[in-house]
Amino acid sequence: MADPTGMQPGGMQPGDSAGATSPALEIRGVTKSFGHHLVLAGVDLVVPARSVTAVLGPSGGGKTTLLRIVAGFDHPDSGTVTIDGEIVAHGAGGRAPEERRVGVVPQEGALFPHLSVAGNVGFGLRRHDRRAREARVAEVLELVGLSGTERKRPHELSGGMQHRVALARALAPHPAIVMLDEPFSSLDAGLRAHVRAEVLDALRASGATAVIVTHDQLEALSIADQVAVLLDGRIAQVATPSEVYRFPTTLAVGTFVGEAVVLRGELLRASASGAEMVIRARCALGDLPISPVGTSSAQHEHHEHLAPGTVLDVLVRPEQLILSSHRDGAERAEPAEGAEGVVIGRQYYGHDAVVSVRLRSGAVVTARLQTTLLPDTGDTVRVRAAGSVAAFPSREG
Amino acid sequence: MRSVAALLASATFVACSSGESASSGPSDTGGPSDTGGPSDTGGPSDTGGPSDTGAPSAGEITVYSGRSLELVEPIIDQFTEETGISVGLRGGDSGELAAQLLTEGDASPADVFFSQDAGALGAVGDAGLFATLPDDLVSVVPAELRSTENLWVGTSGRVRVFVINPELAPDPPTTIDELLDPRWKGAIGFAPNNASWQSFVTGLRVLRGEDGARTWLEGFAAQDPVPFENNVAVRDAVNDSEIAIGLVNHYYLYEKIATEGADAVTAVNQFLSAGDPGGLLNVAGVGVLASSKNTDEALQLVAFLLGETAQRYFADETFEYPVARGIAASPLAPALDTLEPPTIDLADLDSIAETQELLADVGLLTR
Amino acid sequence: MTAPVMAPDSAPAEASVAPAGADAFRGRNRPPWFVLIPSTAAALVAVAPIWYLVDRAIERGWGEVADELWRDSTRDLIVRSVGLAVAVTASSVAVGVTAAWLVVRSDLAARRVLGVVFALPLAIPSYLAAFAWVSWRPGLAGFGGATLVLTSVSYPFVYLPAAAALRQLDPAQEEVARSLGRRRLDVATRLTLRQIRPAISAGALLVALYVLSDFGAVAAMRYEVFTWVIYGAYRAGFNPSRAAILASVLVVVAMVLVVLEAKARGRAAQSRLGGGAARTGTSVSLGRGSVLAWTFVIAVIGVAIVFPVVRVLQWVATFESTDVVWSDVGRALTSTVSLAVVAGLTTVLIALPVGILAARHRSRTSAAIEGATYVTHALPGIVVAISLVFIGVRLLRPIYQETPLLLLGYVVLFLPLAVGSVRSSIEQSSVRVEEVARSLGCRPMSVVWRVTVPLAAPGLAASGALVMLSTMKELPVTLILRPTETNTLATELWRFTSVSDYANAGPYALALVVFAAIPTALLSMAGSTRTQESSRG
Repeated sequence: MADPTGMQPGGMQPGDSAGATSPALEIRGVTKSFGHHLVLAGVDLVVPARSVTAVLGPSGGGKTTLLRIVAGFDHPDSGTVTIDGEIVAHGAGGRAPEERRVGVVPQEGALFPHLSVAGNVGFGLRRHDRRAREARVAEVLELVGLSGTERKRPHELSGGMQHRVALARALAPHPAIVMLDEPFSSLDAGLRAHVRAEVLDALRASGATAVIVTHDQLEALSIADQVAVLLDGRIAQVATPSEVYRFPTTLAVGTFVGEAVVLRGELLRASASGAEMVIRARCALGDLPISPVGTSSAQHEHHEHLAPGTVLDVLVRPEQLILSSHRDGAERAEPAEGAEGVVIGRQYYGHDAVVSVRLRSGAVVTARLQTTLLPDTGDTVRVRAAGSVAAFPSREG
Repeated sequence: MRSVAALLASATFVACSSGESASSGPSDTGGPSDTGGPSDTGGPSDTGGPSDTGAPSAGEITVYSGRSLELVEPIIDQFTEETGISVGLRGGDSGELAAQLLTEGDASPADVFFSQDAGALGAVGDAGLFATLPDDLVSVVPAELRSTENLWVGTSGRVRVFVINPELAPDPPTTIDELLDPRWKGAIGFAPNNASWQSFVTGLRVLRGEDGARTWLEGFAAQDPVPFENNVAVRDAVNDSEIAIGLVNHYYLYEKIATEGADAVTAVNQFLSAGDPGGLLNVAGVGVLASSKNTDEALQLVAFLLGETAQRYFADETFEYPVARGIAASPLAPALDTLEPPTIDLADLDSIAETQELLADVGLLTR
Repeated sequence: MTAPVMAPDSAPAEASVAPAGADAFRGRNRPPWFVLIPSTAAALVAVAPIWYLVDRAIERGWGEVADELWRDSTRDLIVRSVGLAVAVTASSVAVGVTAAWLVVRSDLAARRVLGVVFALPLAIPSYLAAFAWVSWRPGLAGFGGATLVLTSVSYPFVYLPAAAALRQLDPAQEEVARSLGRRRLDVATRLTLRQIRPAISAGALLVALYVLSDFGAVAAMRYEVFTWVIYGAYRAGFNPSRAAILASVLVVVAMVLVVLEAKARGRAAQSRLGGGAARTGTSVSLGRGSVLAWTFVIAVIGVAIVFPVVRVLQWVATFESTDVVWSDVGRALTSTVSLAVVAGLTTVLIALPVGILAARHRSRTSAAIEGATYVTHALPGIVVAISLVFIGVRLLRPIYQETPLLLLGYVVLFLPLAVGSVRSSIEQSSVRVEEVARSLGCRPMSVVWRVTVPLAAPGLAASGALVMLSTMKELPVTLILRPTETNTLATELWRFTSVSDYANAGPYALALVVFAAIPTALLSMAGSTRTQESSRG
């Protein structure tokens, strides 16, 4: 590495010196287009040091372009990239990739096929200090759980092992950030969870700041400290996984990060519930409370400025829906709560199942249910939603 | 050591040659003959002289040779032995070497151009790249075998003949027109790529005009002559009774006799009637580059090639005709003065390109 | 050579799938100075003969140029030259692709050995092969004989890249196509051939340029094409100006071919993004077809190798080679091999930046630079030789007729052979790997030495071998530019065959064929070992 900090003793993370207040990576207003196609339309993102950030977006949404811009393989049309307080990309100018201290783990690993594992891992280390290099190689290989593979050739390793070597190679020179591009997509489902856990353990153990680019919602939600949702060339939301899932800032984010039932509704007048004001939306499932004030979500404040009667898109997660059979529970349920419908289909997954219900209003909702008591197709059921929901002024309304 | 000597020598002759180029013709011829003993006396026996006296004339020259190196090397070695002048010999096709010389111009590293035929010498001479040779040096050669301006001089001659198989052709033709007799149909061999064959056709064009040449060639083509890769193959085909008559140079038969013995050879040479275009006499020759900084050594080489040793070598080893007066041809070959080749200016043999077009046109060159 | 293969419309929508091609072309595609400057210099060196051609062509005025070109004979020449090039290229593609398919994809016995044997005709100089035939049956002279000989010596230019490309193909695609109901032949023509088309068309270009520039075969076969007339203009016409005008036509024809080839290569060529190689396909059982296959194998090897080699052996055996000076053979061999090795290394070193530029920095400029290295490849050796005389005496007088200028001549002659092979081997290694190296702190120039070159090493070795064997066979440039006392096997062979001294020529011919066969064998093995290693994973 060009940077002299490349071989700090003891594997101390260089980001430490910058202090906790300074983010490891800061992206401001980055745009990039290919021909007439705008891929990044002004991306802003702050990645705190020592955190794991997932950049989640649909395939072809510009995630990889963003990664390449941070790594220096591409130049943004405008905007800046700052790493450890230093601006490394400013429009078409900036530092070369080799001067950025960004470790990259490409999708397929991209190991150097002509070098051994040790040769790969030690590639970015200074060449003259052989003993220090060997020590560091052994250290990071241990970190990724591959001690003793130094002399193997890349093609002698399994796909998962190749991945971990690629990670070790990226970590070895103590980069300011490690960027992983769809790191687990090429692995089969059984292996994926295992490798994911191992890689994440290694990342956390190294104390590195990591950015993982992925189109897989489950992956992003399960491994990241913060999730940045990249939609239509912009970061639509940056928040913790649960916040992104429960309190999406837009309907698009909400539908993208997980399965969702979207119902047309309208805003009701705010009503007091104890000390708090509760805002409800009226929809096919009845009057549902919109996520309460107090979350960091900005949507609520926004709703307070909306006139009652505003047409809304109400987003309900399938696992929020509770189905009760007409036969046993109909009398006990309050008439106002929920709505009646007919089961029109179900998919069985073993640990749970998804049931589709056509409501009287004509809307179709899907509910994620435990598999113990499943209604049959054709059954009439009552559907109600538990907890608060997200709602957004409808664009069509 | 040698390079130092060469440097000294070249330094001396730079001054000498630049003086020459500034002055007019007569001093050209005078200069070199004054400095180099052998050329004025002309006697081949004297060529040994300078090397005896030692260093002054020992130098280094570069020769571009269009003649085969196998032939040239032994005689050049002898030259070096006698004069102490070392020779850098560069082989190649005569025409290509001429093109190289034309491209190099004044910057040419060559001192001497030794060509297989007169045409290439003419091209270099026409471009003004040859120095005029001293008259007393070249006067040993008959005027018709050298350039009229003494820009180059022939060193050996070759004559076109019919090589015949006496059994298949007991009554051989002696003119090219007799060759068109129907009884020789399919029995004649020739080498369409061979330069001497093409020179003969060029001579035919000069002697009979374009139409006359075309008429004969069309008649010849109608005889279904058998094409061979080269003259050696033609000669061997005649000797092996594959064909009756071959159109070749005179010396191919003698080479075979010399290597395989007279008993092994049944073929004989039929020389053509007096003045027949088929009996063309052509020469290989030599010229000295005007840009040469070693004019003296170069002229010594010319003198040597016209001297008795070299002339005898050409006669005995290659069975060509010596051109210097007083040197006899090989005993295998009839004396040159018993032959009566057609009278032609060798400088007129330079239109071979047109010859090739004509040959291609009548279907005798390409397929 | 074409405009970028990753067309803007095909790539940007899916940046995460094709970023390297698309992005590299867009944004930071400016090649670094250490690639651009040397490759521009290489292109200038390669087109240097054109300076001479123009100078000589207009020497006698434009009127002469017009007169020369406006003749009917010029039109006939174009028809004959292009006709021969088309015939030889078509038959070379047929032979080369069939041989490649048999070696790589069929269950033919001994195909490992055949893989090397099929490349060996490269070691046989065209003039030697042509002479072997025409001295046996003079009636072969003409178009047919010229096509036979030129095909037999140049089909390996197609065979080698086609075999390499077949080894790289992912058999899964063929399997999918067959499962979709395509018959085997259909698959072969629609899918397989289309996929190896870039390799075939690159090889075909070399064959076509080789045919246009060859003199040895057409001279022996007495087939009147451009080279014949150009040599005639030098040898018989003493008219370099006419030679230059006609040679300029060849350059134009070459330019057309280069453009056509770029189109034929199509968009299929592109940088690999993935890591490892595809697995090797299962071999196709020939069944009854193996009789046909063996007929093909025997015919090709018989015509292209056995016959000329037997003829050479006959010369050695029939003539009493008592006066062969073996020390001279040894000396010629030594200088031939050392010249060939140095020429191979030099040419590959010069081809490297051009190959990097063509593979990694596609643009109009890089296409022009790569194309420039090809256009003089159609020139006959004598024209290149005389043009280097022209340049040598003007600009490089101190090294005129010294080894460095001779090497420069070899570079001009054989740069295209190296550029194509270097480019394709760089294209085969992943761009991603180079980017990772950058992010690990490696500067661009050291990425070349630490990653690009080692990964392309088999291809670089192959192109070096190709230049080596071509250098060994080369005659006209060697003859005119060599240092005065330097003799090579080719010049000595010429020296003896020009006076029909086959007794002495035999050992040189044999040594030439045997020693040129060594790099040829290495060449074909370099291609196959690479795949074996990478497919193991």
